[in-house]
Amino acid sequence: MSATLSAAGEQLVTVTIDGIEVRVPKGTLLVEAAKSIAQEIPVYCYHTKLGPAGLCRICMVEIEGMPKLQIACNLSVTDGMIVRTKGPRVDAARATVLELFLVNHPLDCPICDKGGECDLQDYALAYGRGSSDVADPKLAKPKAADLGPTIVLDEERCIVCQRCVRFDDVIARESQLVVKERGARDIIATATGQPYRHNFTGNVTELCPVGALTSKTYRFKSRPWDLDRTQTTCAQCSVGCQQYADMRYGKLLRTMLVEDDPISDGWLCDRGRYNIGFYDSPRRLTQPLYRKNGRLVQIGWDDAFLLWSKAIRQAIATHGPPSVGAIGGGRLTNEEAFLLQHLFRALGVANLDWRAGRQRQATPGRNGATLSALDRCQAIVVAGESPQERAPVFWLRMQKARRANDALIVESSDPQRARREVGDLQRVALVWDGCDLSVGRSFAWSFEGGSDLALFVTGEQNNARGAEAMGMLPGSGPGFAPLARALDGYEMFEAARRGELSVLSIFGANPARNANDPREAAAALSATEFLVVSDLFMTETAEHATLVLPAKGAFEKHGTTANFGGELLPLTPSLQAPDFTLADGEMLDALAEQLGVAVPTYDELHGLVVNAVAKADLDFALGDERFGPDRTPSPRTVKILDGGGTWRNDPTLEGLRS
Amino acid sequence: MPVTKVLTAGIGEADLRSIGVYRDRGGYRQWERAVREMQPADVLAFADKSGLRGRGGAGFPTGKKWSFLPAKTFPRYLVCNCDEAEPGTFKDHMLLEQAPHLILEGMLIGAYGIASHHAFIYIRGEFKRGYEIFTAALDEARAAGYVGSKLFGTDYDLEVTVHRGAGAYICGEETGMLNSLEGKRGEPRLKPPFPAVEGLYGMPTVVNNVETLAYLVPILERGPEWFAAVGNERSKGYKIVSVSGHVRKPGNYEIPLGTTVREIIELAGGLRPGRRLMAVQPGGGSSACIFEEHLDWPYDYESMTKAGSMLGSGAFVVFDDTTDFVSAAYNLVRFFAHESCGQCTPCREGGSWLERVLERMVRHRGVPGDMEMLARVSSSITGLNLCALGDSIEPFLKSVLQRFRDRFAARIITVEQQPA
Repeated sequence: MSATLSAAGEQLVTVTIDGIEVRVPKGTLLVEAAKSIAQEIPVYCYHTKLGPAGLCRICMVEIEGMPKLQIACNLSVTDGMIVRTKGPRVDAARATVLELFLVNHPLDCPICDKGGECDLQDYALAYGRGSSDVADPKLAKPKAADLGPTIVLDEERCIVCQRCVRFDDVIARESQLVVKERGARDIIATATGQPYRHNFTGNVTELCPVGALTSKTYRFKSRPWDLDRTQTTCAQCSVGCQQYADMRYGKLLRTMLVEDDPISDGWLCDRGRYNIGFYDSPRRLTQPLYRKNGRLVQIGWDDAFLLWSKAIRQAIATHGPPSVGAIGGGRLTNEEAFLLQHLFRALGVANLDWRAGRQRQATPGRNGATLSALDRCQAIVVAGESPQERAPVFWLRMQKARRANDALIVESSDPQRARREVGDLQRVALVWDGCDLSVGRSFAWSFEGGSDLALFVTGEQNNARGAEAMGMLPGSGPGFAPLARALDGYEMFEAARRGELSVLSIFGANPARNANDPREAAAALSATEFLVVSDLFMTETAEHATLVLPAKGAFEKHGTTANFGGELLPLTPSLQAPDFTLADGEMLDALAEQLGVAVPTYDELHGLVVNAVAKADLDFALGDERFGPDRTPSPRTVKILDGGGTWRNDPTLEGLRS
Repeated sequence: MPVTKVLTAGIGEADLRSIGVYRDRGGYRQWERAVREMQPADVLAFADKSGLRGRGGAGFPTGKKWSFLPAKTFPRYLVCNCDEAEPGTFKDHMLLEQAPHLILEGMLIGAYGIASHHAFIYIRGEFKRGYEIFTAALDEARAAGYVGSKLFGTDYDLEVTVHRGAGAYICGEETGMLNSLEGKRGEPRLKPPFPAVEGLYGMPTVVNNVETLAYLVPILERGPEWFAAVGNERSKGYKIVSVSGHVRKPGNYEIPLGTTVREIIELAGGLRPGRRLMAVQPGGGSSACIFEEHLDWPYDYESMTKAGSMLGSGAFVVFDDTTDFVSAAYNLVRFFAHESCGQCTPCREGGSWLERVLERMVRHRGVPGDMEMLARVSSSITGLNLCALGDSIEPFLKSVLQRFRDRFAARIITVEQQPA
């Protein structure tokens, strides 16, 4: 048996597992080699992304030529190795380990959230003895230790595999969790005794192979077999992680990570995971509201569309199309953003912009890269706000690049200095927040030419990049087709303050809170003659509106979004939206009908969206003038675990709000 | 039985804690000779040829251990294991408090032997007095130019760091010790990688016991042949045995390896009058008992293994016919359960389970099935653990459970005896 090379140039070795020959790259861990031929070796402490720890001792296997049983998680296969994952010795060792796990385990499966998806249950059933000689009382430990705002820990169920500790240390780089005490009395706790709190805590509940770590939002809510699962795209930030939405009787109970998702690399941040209760919030808008004599009163949808279309028609007739504008797209689906600009441009209205916050540019243009391109970078330069809060899971990927490839992470406000720090490293990623165009230009200029450059512009809103591709920019149509220049978001607010804007329609944006200068924006909104706001909640912006429209959320509608890597991602509806809410696209459809504008069918729309997102020959760079004029962004750091809108209206997250 | 004095020479006669006294008796001369006249490889050859084996418990050949270091990786470290906590062992404690300069000289020579420029000594937390004595000795040695840079006018630098533990038996396990030295929780590491390749701070590291390193001094002085001439085939040289239990003069006795078990008991004053020997635990708390029939067996690595036990750290505990072996077994199992770091399952759960059952038996509350459980569980956890601690639970328990079955059976309440 001789070692050969794989297509990728790795040396291959042949190992025989339970009589099945398998060829794997040299250095592969035995547990992974077995996985590749679907030969199960049970594990608790081992995890593909965390590596071997050798603690649980359940993965014992027999290797020919070795007198003692070996753990499969820390054994690199060698050529000609003959492995038995079954047989009397292996079975006895597994049964022993399982028996020992259950000496102090409370066996409270009937009330355990994990029951039904628990590795301890599964392996005890598959490999356990089925009976126990334990005649003495079990050790008592805290049953509901409050670990932090997101997580409750049942110390009795814990099998001390330390996956959570290692995740916290290696992946999240937080090192908050430790093992305290010794021997059978050991417990998981934070080192300082302070609440366990950072942007990624929820992942430990999924890493936990038993029911020890549970999310406060999901505790005692359901059993896994009662859940309906849908895979969709997280709409909380511009990374676009895939996630499972788990529902019971039409109620969204939890979201879970998708292990093999190339975008998230199989992790979720706490906002993506926990900010889901707002869908059920009693404060959701469920009826169109119209301002009459200074007060908002409930009206029907028909009246709403009538009033809205009338206002637009009147404004165009009296003051011309420049007196009308629309802002939105960054929180809509691509299809909705396309419809939005299609409808208004058909009316001759060119004052369109998705930008209602501080960000000016969301599409990197030349050298734009998909998120996984980060894995091969040698240096990562961060310009502007750190992705840690803006694009948390992308930040985890940066840490992975640092860990796995020894990538250099440079955070500097000075492009020249950043360039010097990068030195002659060739594969460079430039991560920019898209806010200050001059910063984008100077960094792009510093790193242009010579090196293999991957550009990323993290978005303020989840579909910022999609909105730009759909043409929600003044002077740029779908696929960045050049058009005549019109007012951008800022200029619309200026015009409104001068009394020159008659009708402004805002979709899924809250400038009165998030604009560069929220007070100026609020002044502009109140000066607008007829302001339409579509949102899930009564936002600061909606407070100024003439017409407030109750919209559907991302889990309640169909469509696609584009993440900041330009990848087209599907939104699959999993939730039934509250009665009397409409998706923004449905509102636009109805408005178009009122205004007599023909809109593309859904299938046509999909084709247009795919073409616009897939447009590859983008001929602009960071800080391009099409995103101008330059504005100086106000300094502000948004934390992922606070902020307005949905986050504020989630009743289950009381503890997370600081 | 003549008294042997190699490491113990001068202890109890002169104040070896003083560098002047130590030097007058020839101290630090071997250290100077090593640096001035020998290459590290020569020192390694001395250790190798002497047949010196680790005196901490595992008995691994010292020269061979050193030779595992990758040739070109620097820095590399020597760590002296002075976390002596094996039940019944108190030899390093004595050396630390009585002959600190001897330990230091042995450490320096050992560090030179592996071409290291930094040696560490990890002193058990409870040895506060010893820690103070050793630190004072190190200060003296540093002032005298035996530790530091450009030693004896050569280019060789050697620094020594003293670290005091915080009271955990598991930190005597070499990788647990390395973690603890690095400021981490004292848990044994997963091997591979082995410390020789990736040890302290990720660099090649040798961990040697106090007594092992101390023997390097006389070996350098008198030559490896002198050391190798004593003992038998594979157990060479001398050993300090900590004799305790039911003897009239418990204490540390230095012996040539191969001395018989009976001779060791006699050295320690023999049994108390009228008492009968029931068992001897020859190698610390982790070792199985040997019995009357082994009295004339030589005390060396191979014979003790053949007798079903081990020489271990040389803790020699004698049990006479007044012993309650159920309590003795409980005491040891409780110790291991208490000292388990808890990271791996068999040791953590198995130890605490066995402890609970034995505790009940001590209170005469055993139930039918307990003895079978003790035998089954203690044997099934052996060989599954991450480090040697979990495998240390079985030997003593198994040996006394087999030998004194009736004593255990007497602790079991049968159905008839149970109150109605």
